[in-house]
Amino acid sequence: MSLPFNRRSVMRGLLGGAAVCVGIPTLDQFLNGNGTAYAEGAKLPVRFGTYFWGLGLTDTPTGGTRWVPTKTGAGYEITPELESLARVKDKVSVFSGFRAIGDGKPNIVHWSGHASIMSGIAPGVSTRFDGPTLDTKVADAIGSSTRFKSLDMDASMSRKGVSYSTRSGGAFATPETTPLTLYERIFGEGFQDPNSDNWKPDPNLMLKQSVLSAITDQRLALMANVGKADQVKLDQYFTSLREMENQLAVQQTRPEKCESCVIPSPPKEPKRAASVDVVNSNTKQMARLLAMAMACNQTRVFNFVHTAGASETYVAGESKIYHQITHDEPTDARLGYQPVTSRIAGMVMQGLGDFLNELDAIKEGSGTLLDNSLVLAFSDTGYAKIHSIENIPMFLAGGAGGRHKAGQHIANKGESVTRVSLTAMQLAGAPVGEFGAGTMKTARPISEVMA
Amino acid sequence: MKHQLIGAGFASLIATLVFPATAAADWTRSYVVEWNEPAMYYGAKSGVTDPGTDCPKGTNPEFDWVKVMVDAGYTKAEAQWLRDPMNPTRSPVHGQNQMAFRGKDKENVYTHPESVADPGLTGVSGTIAEGLNLDDDTKNGFTSPTGETGIDNTFYRTLGCWKTYRAPPRLSSGALQFNDAMRDGGWTTVIVVSGKGNDPMNDSNVRVGVYASADKMVKDGNGGISGDYTFRILPHARYEALFDAKTVDGAILSTKPSDVMIRDAGYTQELELLRAQVNLKMQDDGKLKGYIGGYRPWFPVYKGWVNARGPVIEALTWVQLPGVYYALKRNADFSPTGPAGEKTHISYAMRIEALPAFVMTPDGTKEATDIVSFKAQASPETAKPQSWKVWEDGGVIPDKTAKIQAGPTTPLNVPAGYGAAGGQ
Amino acid sequence: MRATSGLLCAIALGAGLLGSAVLTASPPSSAWAEKAANTQPIKVGVRRLTESQYRHTIADLFGPDIQINARFEPDKREGGLLALGSAQLSLTSSGFEQYFSMASSIADQVVDPTRRDVAVGCKPANAKKADAACSTAFITRVGERLFRRPLTGAELKSFTNVASMGAERTGSFDGGIKLALAGMLMAPEYLFRIETAEPDPGKPGAYRLDGYSKASRLSYLMWDTAPDMELLAAAKTGAIHTEAGLRQQLVRMTTSPRFQDGARAFFVDMLQLDGFDNMIKDPVAYPKFNQSVSDSAKEQTLRTTIDLLVNQKRDYRELFTSNETFINRYLAAVYKVPFASSEEWARYTFPDSSERAGILTQVSFLSLFAHPGSSSPTRRGIKVHEIFMCEPTPDPPADVDFSKVQALANGTVRVRLLDHMQNAGCTSCHRRSDPPGLALEHFDGLGQLRKAENGVPIDVTADLGGKKFEGAVGLAGYLRDEPRIPACLVRNVYSYGTGRTADERDEDYLTDQTAMFAKNGYRLPDLMIQIASSPEFFKPIIPAGARPSATPVSSSATP
Repeated sequence: MSLPFNRRSVMRGLLGGAAVCVGIPTLDQFLNGNGTAYAEGAKLPVRFGTYFWGLGLTDTPTGGTRWVPTKTGAGYEITPELESLARVKDKVSVFSGFRAIGDGKPNIVHWSGHASIMSGIAPGVSTRFDGPTLDTKVADAIGSSTRFKSLDMDASMSRKGVSYSTRSGGAFATPETTPLTLYERIFGEGFQDPNSDNWKPDPNLMLKQSVLSAITDQRLALMANVGKADQVKLDQYFTSLREMENQLAVQQTRPEKCESCVIPSPPKEPKRAASVDVVNSNTKQMARLLAMAMACNQTRVFNFVHTAGASETYVAGESKIYHQITHDEPTDARLGYQPVTSRIAGMVMQGLGDFLNELDAIKEGSGTLLDNSLVLAFSDTGYAKIHSIENIPMFLAGGAGGRHKAGQHIANKGESVTRVSLTAMQLAGAPVGEFGAGTMKTARPISEVMA
Repeated sequence: MKHQLIGAGFASLIATLVFPATAAADWTRSYVVEWNEPAMYYGAKSGVTDPGTDCPKGTNPEFDWVKVMVDAGYTKAEAQWLRDPMNPTRSPVHGQNQMAFRGKDKENVYTHPESVADPGLTGVSGTIAEGLNLDDDTKNGFTSPTGETGIDNTFYRTLGCWKTYRAPPRLSSGALQFNDAMRDGGWTTVIVVSGKGNDPMNDSNVRVGVYASADKMVKDGNGGISGDYTFRILPHARYEALFDAKTVDGAILSTKPSDVMIRDAGYTQELELLRAQVNLKMQDDGKLKGYIGGYRPWFPVYKGWVNARGPVIEALTWVQLPGVYYALKRNADFSPTGPAGEKTHISYAMRIEALPAFVMTPDGTKEATDIVSFKAQASPETAKPQSWKVWEDGGVIPDKTAKIQAGPTTPLNVPAGYGAAGGQ
Repeated sequence: MRATSGLLCAIALGAGLLGSAVLTASPPSSAWAEKAANTQPIKVGVRRLTESQYRHTIADLFGPDIQINARFEPDKREGGLLALGSAQLSLTSSGFEQYFSMASSIADQVVDPTRRDVAVGCKPANAKKADAACSTAFITRVGERLFRRPLTGAELKSFTNVASMGAERTGSFDGGIKLALAGMLMAPEYLFRIETAEPDPGKPGAYRLDGYSKASRLSYLMWDTAPDMELLAAAKTGAIHTEAGLRQQLVRMTTSPRFQDGARAFFVDMLQLDGFDNMIKDPVAYPKFNQSVSDSAKEQTLRTTIDLLVNQKRDYRELFTSNETFINRYLAAVYKVPFASSEEWARYTFPDSSERAGILTQVSFLSLFAHPGSSSPTRRGIKVHEIFMCEPTPDPPADVDFSKVQALANGTVRVRLLDHMQNAGCTSCHRRSDPPGLALEHFDGLGQLRKAENGVPIDVTADLGGKKFEGAVGLAGYLRDEPRIPACLVRNVYSYGTGRTADERDEDYLTDQTAMFAKNGYRLPDLMIQIASSPEFFKPIIPAGARPSATPVSSSATP
């Protein structure tokens, strides 16, 4: 069928431009048969994020597992601790048996597990990762055309906001820790409604740019005679400055209209408690805001922490925190696992279920936002009682724009977690061929889940 | 009807006569009142308005206000139009002021309740009540839930089926509203108990002081009141209650009556109690629970309800205020001037719950241990009574924007054709 | 296997800390190079300003009524101190946004008509146009205070260009000033404390910190803010390099009321009171806890510590034994004592019957280092070692056999922890960390006195390395005589002031300083003067990778 204009030029215009909003109902003639890609074969832009929760899931050495499905491949059954994922089960792949491999480095509790997943390298000390994290690679690939290169969130209400995203290994990103501050960041000052008919370039933006350029004028003089360690810090500063410049540049282009974008109303401040119900409520609200942020094309990459590695959460009214219960509670001789711990693990997983449901609630193209996203969800440990970094639960949720053949249970006992990390990065569109160091170095993604 | 409240002077005169300064006590317990409400025994087994032994038909039902207005001489259309929310004279906040004018010749029934016939007010018909035996007569009165006879609580008999008062403890709408206001910092009442004996639980020489404090209560993490806070006694010209008592197994019981005044949790802030006594139990968990009772003047009770906007109170609490007036007057059971005098007072008990707290002397420097009067030190500010502005305006809030106000001859402007199909 | 004795722990501590301070693979020894390869000034330190330092600087310059309502980047604790962690931190992208909005807001307030005449200090010839004279004067004066040194010619030019271009674009002189000020507030030279070393004229081939860097170190240690005019002048004239000139500034600063700010900032850091920012307690277990109690607890500890050590100049060790403190009405309810004052805060001395003894029995310490719903002897014990003895505890090993340690529905927490001590994998650390915490078990997770748990009386006897003590009072007595405690304070003052973790090479110096501290009666203000007067305080550490620039770049040139 002949088109009135060259498809290629339109594609260049659409995809190469600064702001492409997936919410636009694309003309069917541009799409392939099943509405998931442009006819040329290029995919719709994909969103990517990490979701972390602390203290793993129940899988005991004596064989009582509460999360690993017995069936492998497609159509796995929902196990007790995965009940919250039932609704989106066909969009979620489960990865069991994967482990972090230290190559002689000690297992730093509540750290080595997810440090290995995120950076690919077994960490040496408990205060840093030894390499940049995988989300930064994805953000570099797909995050530059939106206002925010990535968004970091922490719902745990713990003493210090936690993020596991780092470029330098020593300094982690600063997360938003309440729905209200997240709302302010996204929809507060600086937000431009992509659907507004009254968009005008803001003259203040150029003034802000001039302020930033006065600073970059001094860069050479500043970086002279600086030691390596200090140089790293200044580099990080200038990287952040460049991201702000990028934001300002993006804000000066008229945004594409986003059909699914609806500006939400500000949420209320949460109750100040770190109990599981409050953390889950935060998670749900922040997920909703994040989903709308992505629908409004404010970011394509995110990092979400439900509870930190050595989680501080507890069941409201109980004097013991969840972490202590994972260590304290005896294994029930008849059941083969710790019943209270398992129950709380299910409550913690409710956070992930709600999170994915919020992403799935926004319609986009012929599917939902979740179909056009990829969420790598994982924890810091397998069986928390013994700080095991064997069988760390990992999930990939979302269609990645059709690239992810979801709904499968991949059970690869003993394999490195970095294989899943690599798979995630590639599905998200990062040009990464290998990932990890030492025994965890891998160039083989899990092709069974890749379309 | 003229009404005389006991003035501050008289009370302090009594204070000095009956309570000479005492030497330092051997033990002291002090508390802050975290809940106070009229002692209205709830006779049903469940719910908040269910039929029970106290009110066999349950809490008094709502009135058909159209009928009430028609009985007062309005036409049905007028009555319906007055009740209709579309009527611009009906304020969404203050109600329909015209409701006041139901008396003979459309007299204001709030301020002149005797201008209308007694509409009746169903009272309590049960035999159980909480409270105290005020008249020393064990044959006259209710039986307490624990079997004590002679409980005098005619206030309860009279008003105990009224929606605003009736419910299990801490659940009546009236109690909730007023205690919320108190607990949010509206006012503070503290109680100090001290004795000379060795055993606080059994001491024949005990004194109890109920005082005001200007220090606000503090709420805890669950929304309750936090105990152990420090409160300074505020010398108050009006609110002060001193009792002579004894303790028996931890129960504080008056040994002789006093005439006192404390802050009430109600629209009438002053609670004067003649022949007042206490029955307060010191609990194992450190709290104090029990009753303060006495004869309270009944007319200010009625006046307080009217002052809270007659139409609003009637509509929200399902009562006809003249009925309250007549019932209180009819049931009042005490005359301060002797058996032959006018019964201006009615027997009453207040249910109190208090938490342990530190209560300091007015200058805040040491814990209060002597139960004495501080009225002499009170600032004149504390002598000012509450505002009765709404009562003075006829128990309604006039609409400042309206050209004409509700009244006996106010034209009602019923729209043409406004018929039977109208509001209620 | 983890370190099993104090000595090994110290070595592990040293190695661990040194390891974490170096981000690259360069060997530690080269970081000590003092002979420089060239004679150009070198940047020897880049440390991000803390929130309180930022706020103090703005208040000093523009007045305390300037509102700063944005969110600061969180600090990081390294080697027990945020001051050391700041050496690792930079600005994240979300942080950059926050600081940018802060800078704009501050600049807005400075040029507000109600304030601008005093804050800007001069008027333009035409309010709607650029004015080189006034903008140069403003930028020079303010820039010097913000950057803590005179601006270079290039910097001045850059910012005055922004001012004039901004004036043109906005049609207002003040609009241009606003942009220039926002730029200075975002510059790394403001946000980071950049320390520069220059060739030492007295020792050819060696380096010394330049005068402005010395001024900054002194000012941040003593007053937690940027150098004031007098200190900058001492740097400019070189007086700060002389013993007499330095001493004059030290005495001036420690006798000023502003010393309280510096001491407060130091103790917030050392005592880890930043933990209050987000503290959470379970309302069912501790209903009395609320934000007011949290704020009050922090303030109590700061007031008490400053009053004891700075105002009264008493012996540091009395921090553990003195029961003289300050409370307010909220704390009185938690401590269950009457509040006998009409002021907001009042002095209070705990009686013997309260079992309280010094700082470890204040609500702050007891509640910060406990769980949301219960106490934690292990956490408290770990923090006693970490904060007061400079001995951090290693992480628990991953392969602990937890089957031996089961939950107890009855009895006390003590019994469960004593089980740890029987367990081979746990003994080495718990034997050391738990005893101080066990002695504090008469205080629950909020710091309230309780003598029984689940109906069982709580035993608070403890045995630490052979030394036995009972209860908080016993623990206080033990700590008072423990020499590691004053040594740790000395180490902390040194690390806090210099921004470096002390390692084995500093041991002799620290030992000498500790001896002097003891000899002079363990007084904190004297200690700070003593350390700041020592040559080690200003010794620059030349980083291995510093490259000299092609063209000489002076560290502090006037245009």
